[in-house]
Amino acid sequence: MTKRNHFNRALVPTLALLVCGAAAAAPVKIGVLETLSGPQASSGLAYRAAVRYAIDQINAAGGWNGEPVQLLEYDNQGGPAGAADKLKAAAADGVQLIVQGASSAIGGQITEDVRKYNLRNPGKEMVYLNVGAEALELTGEKCNFYHFRFAGDAQIRTKALVAAMKQANALGTRVYSINQNYSWGQDMERAIVDNASAGGYQVVEKTLHDVNKVQDFAPYVAKIAASKADSVLTGNWSNDLLLLMKASRSAGLKVRFGTVYLDQPGNLANAGDLAVGHFVVHTFNAESAGGEGEKFVNDYKAKTGHDPVFIEPQTVFGMAMVADALKRTPAKGGKLDVNAFAKALESATYKSPMGEMRMRAADHQVQMPMVVSTVSKDARYKADGTDMGFTPVKRFSAAEASSPAQASCDMKRPD
Amino acid sequence: MKTAFLCVAAGVAALLALPFLLSQGLLNAAVQMLIAALFATAYNLLCGQGGMLSFGHAAYFGVGAFATVHAMNAVGGAGLLPTPLLPVVGAVFGLLLGSIAGWFATQRTGTYFAMITLAIAELVHSLAPHLKGLFGGEAGVSSMRMPAWGFDFGSTTQVYYLTLGWALLCVALLYLYTRTPMGRLTFGLRENSHRLRFLGYNVHGLGTAVFAISAMFSGVAGGLQVMSNESANYVVFDPSLSAAVILNSYIGGVKMFLGPAFGAAIMTFFGYAVSDLTQSWLLYQGILFVLVMMFMPTGLAGLPGMVRRLVQRFGFAQVMPLVALSCGAALSLGAGGVFLVELLRRVFSQDYRAAIVAGNDWPAVTLLSRDWLPGSPITWLVPVALLAVGAALAWLARRRRAALEAAEAVDAAAPTALEADAIVKEGLA
Amino acid sequence: MDQFLVSLMNGLVYGLLLFMVSAGLTLIFGMMGVLNFAHASFYMLGAYFAYMLQDAIGFWGALVVSPLLVALVGVVVERFFLRRVHRYGHAHELLVTFGLSFIIAESVKLFFGNYPVDYRIPAALDIPAFSVGGAQYPAYRLLMGGIAVAMFVLIYLLLTRTRVGIVVRSAIYKPRMAEALGHNVPLVFMGVFGVGAALAGLAGAVAGAFYTTNPNMALELGVMVFVVVVVGGLGSLEGAMLASLLIGVITSLAVSVDRSLADLFALAGAGDWARSVGGLMTLKISSLSATIPFALMLLILLVRPGGLMGEKD
Repeated sequence: MTKRNHFNRALVPTLALLVCGAAAAAPVKIGVLETLSGPQASSGLAYRAAVRYAIDQINAAGGWNGEPVQLLEYDNQGGPAGAADKLKAAAADGVQLIVQGASSAIGGQITEDVRKYNLRNPGKEMVYLNVGAEALELTGEKCNFYHFRFAGDAQIRTKALVAAMKQANALGTRVYSINQNYSWGQDMERAIVDNASAGGYQVVEKTLHDVNKVQDFAPYVAKIAASKADSVLTGNWSNDLLLLMKASRSAGLKVRFGTVYLDQPGNLANAGDLAVGHFVVHTFNAESAGGEGEKFVNDYKAKTGHDPVFIEPQTVFGMAMVADALKRTPAKGGKLDVNAFAKALESATYKSPMGEMRMRAADHQVQMPMVVSTVSKDARYKADGTDMGFTPVKRFSAAEASSPAQASCDMKRPD
Repeated sequence: MKTAFLCVAAGVAALLALPFLLSQGLLNAAVQMLIAALFATAYNLLCGQGGMLSFGHAAYFGVGAFATVHAMNAVGGAGLLPTPLLPVVGAVFGLLLGSIAGWFATQRTGTYFAMITLAIAELVHSLAPHLKGLFGGEAGVSSMRMPAWGFDFGSTTQVYYLTLGWALLCVALLYLYTRTPMGRLTFGLRENSHRLRFLGYNVHGLGTAVFAISAMFSGVAGGLQVMSNESANYVVFDPSLSAAVILNSYIGGVKMFLGPAFGAAIMTFFGYAVSDLTQSWLLYQGILFVLVMMFMPTGLAGLPGMVRRLVQRFGFAQVMPLVALSCGAALSLGAGGVFLVELLRRVFSQDYRAAIVAGNDWPAVTLLSRDWLPGSPITWLVPVALLAVGAALAWLARRRRAALEAAEAVDAAAPTALEADAIVKEGLA
Repeated sequence: MDQFLVSLMNGLVYGLLLFMVSAGLTLIFGMMGVLNFAHASFYMLGAYFAYMLQDAIGFWGALVVSPLLVALVGVVVERFFLRRVHRYGHAHELLVTFGLSFIIAESVKLFFGNYPVDYRIPAALDIPAFSVGGAQYPAYRLLMGGIAVAMFVLIYLLLTRTRVGIVVRSAIYKPRMAEALGHNVPLVFMGVFGVGAALAGLAGAVAGAFYTTNPNMALELGVMVFVVVVVGGLGSLEGAMLASLLIGVITSLAVSVDRSLADLFALAGAGDWARSVGGLMTLKISSLSATIPFALMLLILLVRPGGLMGEKD
């Protein structure tokens, strides 16, 4: 028993009150608040699929306090305003843990709203489980005790990408940085510059362009060609990445791309052969995860119908850490004590197929393994229904991939 | 007039009582509905009353929102004004931008006017992500409501009453505006601006003023949204918000004063309730919009009036079956359409296509807690039958209506008793 | 110099693509007075139909059949939707097309999913044409440009030199008179709408393979097409060509300009002050390349609302 639909939610608390009484055992309610419709729905739906799988696993292992965990789903209708509304609806429904990951803008809205809600409603706190919003400020200026991030950030990703590409001799000494002109892209640009000495390269030029507005990347490719760069590092996603790569291919530009989002579903299928040889830093590669990884992939595919790709593995592993924390949180008056849960989550660990993961209490940024892969036709697991897949180049343990906590994080802890 | 007044009073009383009747989640939805209704009413001043179709009204909503959020953060977080008065800041900045934009936009009419408003909105939308100091990047600017006048504005109930107060005040002001001479001139702008010019009025100045007033109240709506969400984000300048207010206004009906408010309330609630149930809710919204535009040009709010006029013409007994048939047709067509769309969505989804094994029967899809096999004819028969029934009912309703009109025409052509008498007498004479 | 040449060529080809889509829109507006918001959706449908047909009848076959299918959709839209609401005025028709654009976009998502689909240039065409400045220039871009130019010439000749063209132009200019002379004006309207849609469909079929084919295509191109049509003059084919080339070239060349207003102030010696002000002053033109067309549109609307080559207001 996992999800309840919106209209049924009124039944459960009513029944519970009628049948059980005041000190009733209240099941833990987890809400996934994602973009499930509109132009950016593709990522939101992937997050939802992964969360559903993870909740099923938690319930198969016995749930919490003898009760299955309930999953409620909310559509933020594509924007921070919708997210704010649905967060209030979730709070009214008694949801205690909110899961979201598809957009840093929405993540910024949720973390602030959760902080204010907790200030105003002591005793009825909520926790925001961030499974994908990778803007640095969420564990920086906006860090807050009730926010936990189970994904990477620009610094972590770039550090791993640079190290792996250097080892594979694909980086060269001249690197071109092209990114989208918003917080994520700017974080990436800063990270690329910060890693220049470690990577032994010089950033020949940095470019920021409008997000999802540029159709014709040929002028940018012309700039890259003129700069004589050996490789291009970019945090672009979706169309911005695809069009950039297509434009460089048609101009015959011979550069290596180091990306963060090349494994987004649809990218390989659309790019075709031009993707071969380029690099991506991601959180899971089944080929490098051995037998455990294969078991995970098979189980996920059996339950959901598709391989776990892109952000799905990190979401599942993050929720496994949540399950670990839930197990260590005893019930208080039949309900989940969110403060105790958060404290337990601060010290949560999980042995994922990729390696040990643990939560860092200083800024609530998960310390997780990273893997850098390259697109090749020899990969064991093919992606997107094509004949290509991701072959691992180098795997980084959580400690190797780690990036220090930001000084701007001043976390205020309860009591 | 009396009934209208009573209806309005009853409506206000219901709105005041809502916090005691609804859950907190639905109350928050009510706040959003009020804000959307205010925005739509302000928009209608320009569009329905002034006859100027603006495609970029989200710009003024957004400017009001950002002005208010900066005012909330001013003075070290204490706020420039006490919390309940903050939407005034939104109004002021909405008025400012509205005057400037309106002065340029109203120099042209018709499609060119619409294009200018679109260009201004898109310009603001393009520039906003670059001006981080003003618009806060893509995480937006966030703030917190400060206590004032004895309230702490922490609970949704207090926010609701604050929003309700402002919404009622603004709608009342907009209504009073239509009663003033200038309000009447606004209607003149829509009907025949050439004539106004010949009568000596400064049409450009009038157009600018109407634009500015509409933008001012849109700014208030933006400020109210910021106070409810405690943050402002530049996605508020997205063309989809301008599109939404146009959709809401026309679905409600632009010819009536409260039509757009009604349309906005319904569509906001529809989006809120249905978006969690199905992914196709945008499709339903689009279909609803096109159907209303094609078959009910006066909008949904014009429906009671239309029914009342029919009753006046044909009498209650004749019209009731017509209404029943139409309702039945709408329900049946709606149910069949929704069933078909949901079925198609499940069959064409990525997960389902991955589950199809070549050679075997296609697996079942779950709809309404039952399993339906795409291979079996019953699965497709249900929506087809519903659609057919709905179409048949609609055809019957149309025939009945045509019959009523034909009977009326015959009656009108037929002489009355007195005339018949006179004709007979003349014939005999 | 090489980079400038490449940017110029890219700008011209992008402009020609914009022309392919906006030609139909400007014709439809000139004829019916309706700004067809669903036009960019026809562009998207062209790409998706070509993707569906590519496996069955090959790339060139899909390129021919897909515009015909889109023309059919256009005819259906005109006959069953627009004709009904014609009596309520232009604003109403505009809003109906607005609603239809939503329906088309959502239906595409329903049947094809939210992710981009695998519609690609066939390998035979994915070759470089020539080299300039160390980079290669893809042949497919030249093909796109060639198709656009051929389209322009064909339509121009059709409108000015054939009998059908004369009837269409008279129906645009004086529909009642044309009707009185015995021409079937509603049929002409339907035909022009269908042809306009077919043009957009062809553009989609051609460009969808080069760029990406995804459900947001209509939104991405849609606004730019309006800018082109307004700048060029609503109803003027030559204006659409001129405006699309202008906007394509400006967008392309702006990307290589890394200057900002502060640099302009620096010429007058106030550079440091301008840079300390920040905000608008330090915005580089290259970051603003997507915003410039809107500023141009606003300028044209204020100074010469008829557009570059439209009738004087």
